[in-house]
Amino acid sequence: METLVYLARRVLQSLVVILIVTVVVFCLLHALPGGPARGILGPQATAQQIASFNHEQGLDRPLPVQYVYYLGTLLHGDLGTSYTLNEAVSKLIEQRLPKTLVLTVLSALVGLLLAIPLGMWQAVRRNKPTDYVITTLSFVAYSTPVYFLGLILVLVFTQTLHWFPSQAPQGDTLAQVFADPVGLVLPVVTGAASMIAVFSRYMRASTLENLSEDYVRTARAGGARQGAILFRHVFRNSLTPVIAMLGYYVPVLFGGALVVEQLFNYPGMGLLFWSAAQSSDYPVLLGCVLVISVATVVGTLLADVVQRIVDPRVKAGQA
Amino acid sequence: MKETEELKVANILEVEDLGVTFGTDTGDVPAVREVSLHVRPGETLALVGESGSGKSTVALAAMGLLPSNARASGRVSVDGTQVVGAGEAELARLRGRTASMVFQEPATALDPLTRVGAQIAEVVRNHRSVSRAEAAREAVELLRRVGIPEPERRASAFPFQLSGGQRQRVVIAMAIANSPGLLIADEPTTALDVTVQAEILDLLRALAADSGTGVLLVTHNMGVVADFADRVAVMLNGEVVESGSVEQVLLHPEHEYTQRLLEAVPRLEVEAPVVESVPREVAGEPVVEKAEPATPEGEAVVELRGVSVRFGRGPGAVQALQEVSLTVRPGETVGLVGESGSGKSTAARVALGLVAPAGGTVSLFGRELGRTRGRARRALLSGVGVVLQDPVASLDARMSVGECVAEPLRMHRRGLSAAERRARVAEVLERVRLPRELAGRGPRELSGGQRQRVSLARALVLEPRLLVADEPTSALDVSVQRTVLEVIAELQGELGFACLFVSHDLAVVQQFAQRVVVMRAGQVEEQGPTMTTLLRPETEYTRRLIAAVPVPDPVMQRRRREALRTGVTA
Repeated sequence: METLVYLARRVLQSLVVILIVTVVVFCLLHALPGGPARGILGPQATAQQIASFNHEQGLDRPLPVQYVYYLGTLLHGDLGTSYTLNEAVSKLIEQRLPKTLVLTVLSALVGLLLAIPLGMWQAVRRNKPTDYVITTLSFVAYSTPVYFLGLILVLVFTQTLHWFPSQAPQGDTLAQVFADPVGLVLPVVTGAASMIAVFSRYMRASTLENLSEDYVRTARAGGARQGAILFRHVFRNSLTPVIAMLGYYVPVLFGGALVVEQLFNYPGMGLLFWSAAQSSDYPVLLGCVLVISVATVVGTLLADVVQRIVDPRVKAGQA
Repeated sequence: MKETEELKVANILEVEDLGVTFGTDTGDVPAVREVSLHVRPGETLALVGESGSGKSTVALAAMGLLPSNARASGRVSVDGTQVVGAGEAELARLRGRTASMVFQEPATALDPLTRVGAQIAEVVRNHRSVSRAEAAREAVELLRRVGIPEPERRASAFPFQLSGGQRQRVVIAMAIANSPGLLIADEPTTALDVTVQAEILDLLRALAADSGTGVLLVTHNMGVVADFADRVAVMLNGEVVESGSVEQVLLHPEHEYTQRLLEAVPRLEVEAPVVESVPREVAGEPVVEKAEPATPEGEAVVELRGVSVRFGRGPGAVQALQEVSLTVRPGETVGLVGESGSGKSTAARVALGLVAPAGGTVSLFGRELGRTRGRARRALLSGVGVVLQDPVASLDARMSVGECVAEPLRMHRRGLSAAERRARVAEVLERVRLPRELAGRGPRELSGGQRQRVSLARALVLEPRLLVADEPTSALDVSVQRTVLEVIAELQGELGFACLFVSHDLAVVQQFAQRVVVMRAGQVEEQGPTMTTLLRPETEYTRRLIAAVPVPDPVMQRRRREALRTGVTA
């Protein structure tokens, strides 16, 4: 019951945040140089052409009215029409989003599965050679631009070793994507690299902090061995702050997808966003922004809920 | 400490020539030197000393729990097993079975994400191959033994759902899970209220007596020593300077340091069941001679009338203060006592204007605080100085001592030139007996007692008419506490400010305050002249509070405990 009330409240809060996002997106739409008309009709259009376009599209009405109208179309799943592809933005996103989700979720999973044990291991081996080596690699991975790292991977694993293809799976459906798992390797690794770097740092810091907590000493005084202390106590306690960070990491993942998809020619949302930006296709751009914002809000919500489950103090409002 | 070979074998803990050195960035720091001591089954050895004396290091060395930068030498044997130099696997077999430990801070000693029953069961299963279900049953049984009500239900509680005293009981349950021969208790009651302290000490005593467990009790509290220990070893700068039976060490100390230490301990004067058990020269004079309680006249410097404070909203709201009225008159010291959560600090904050009361009125120097705004309010509040408990946290580490002390001048005496400010800072530093050269140093370079005197200098730089001191000495060693209290009392004589003195320590309040206000659960339980209220309390609560304070005299403390048990209040 308590949990339901909490969920309802959090979902409502999230809806408010999304509403604010729509306001921002709407304002951006109208802050375009020359307005949307100039964007569509191009620099050669006459003032008369622009005026008649604005009238047709309802763009000459007061902004609040337009916003309500915009919100109404949003609720019907209508994100507008692409200027260049002549297709509904919602349709484009519907096609592309699952593929991007495959890429980002896989990257995140691979990233976390490597980062968490790596971080713990570093904490245990603190200030020993292994710690220094991993720390150095983390900083390299974190400070290398994603596209550069991708290019190096292609150079090594495609050009030299011929292990993996330089192109991601090209199919339109998920089934086709999964039919070519080898093609996914390099894009996923490229996407996961910075995640591994960042989250192994979080996990290392969090584990170190927990290792110096009093409860570890109590467990040790009770005769617990190092392994039991790490996996029974320190692991869970160290993981909770890392979970909280995950929600905020969603936009970073999408940002990474933007580069990775372009690099490996993987037709997901990132590539859609990229080409829309190249051709000033504003309805597509803003549609993507909206979707990513919603994904971020949902990600944060999920992280909060998971944390509530893992840490009973959160539920009681004690932490 | 000459033992026959036969007795030596029987010792559950045997420490010989123990040395511990900590390797730090700036070189090796010796913490413990040539310490030898022993604990026999069924007896309690108290290891006493001030902070930095190395007493906790000895305790950790006995468990093989020293931090990784420590190097130990000498011999420590627990039930015949050599601990110094032993491997982790061997130590793990020992810990929690042959020797176990109870720690100071029950708030952090338990894993916050694991249910307490599971944490106890884990210790059981660390050493005995019993099923999960059986271990869980044992955990419930252990919770019952340590006096947790409804142990079946509490076993599935998380640590944050228990009070401090209950958490400490859980830690004790973990410690006795495998009936160890040796129990090491490192300041087990320091973080607890006196009444809870008395309960925990009773529990430990009963458990040790039942099972013949030897106890190594590490503490700074001489009252606890008198209450609990059979023998005492006194540590100073990493060495044992004196050891012997509790009566011998506490009543007839031989070493000059032990004498000084005992003299500095504030003693609660009680209507003892038997007089003259304390030799004059040991009991020592009261820490501070109180100014004559010549019923101070004049307008109250601070007056709380029917003050109520609520924290939070809705069903989770806490009624922190309820209809609290108290008055401090010019020049007098009022002690505000009570257990944690009684609202004493909140009341002090209301007097400081930091917490706005939901009901009632607060007057400072005759003016109602709630009716003043802006500049007038600031001017009014500049007449109040404050000293807080934690000498580390209450000074900005990025400011020099001089800047810390000068800050109130910058706020309230804006007309002063930099040179005048410096002069005032130097003057007030000398008042609190600190050299004026200290102004250029950082607070971190100072000792705890020096820091607390800097806080005092900051509080007094505006020459306030009221000093609010919230547990000003409870983080300090007794000898340091004594100096700080002396400085406050001396300056009170010179400058004539009134003092609202918040403390959990009845002995300190008894020696420092003319009047005392006893608080309980957000309300004033009783108040009156210190010697009346604390010697012949009117309420049962105050009587219990006083009875729970252990006095640092083993003979008298034994009588008081007997009296308490038989229902006669001492």
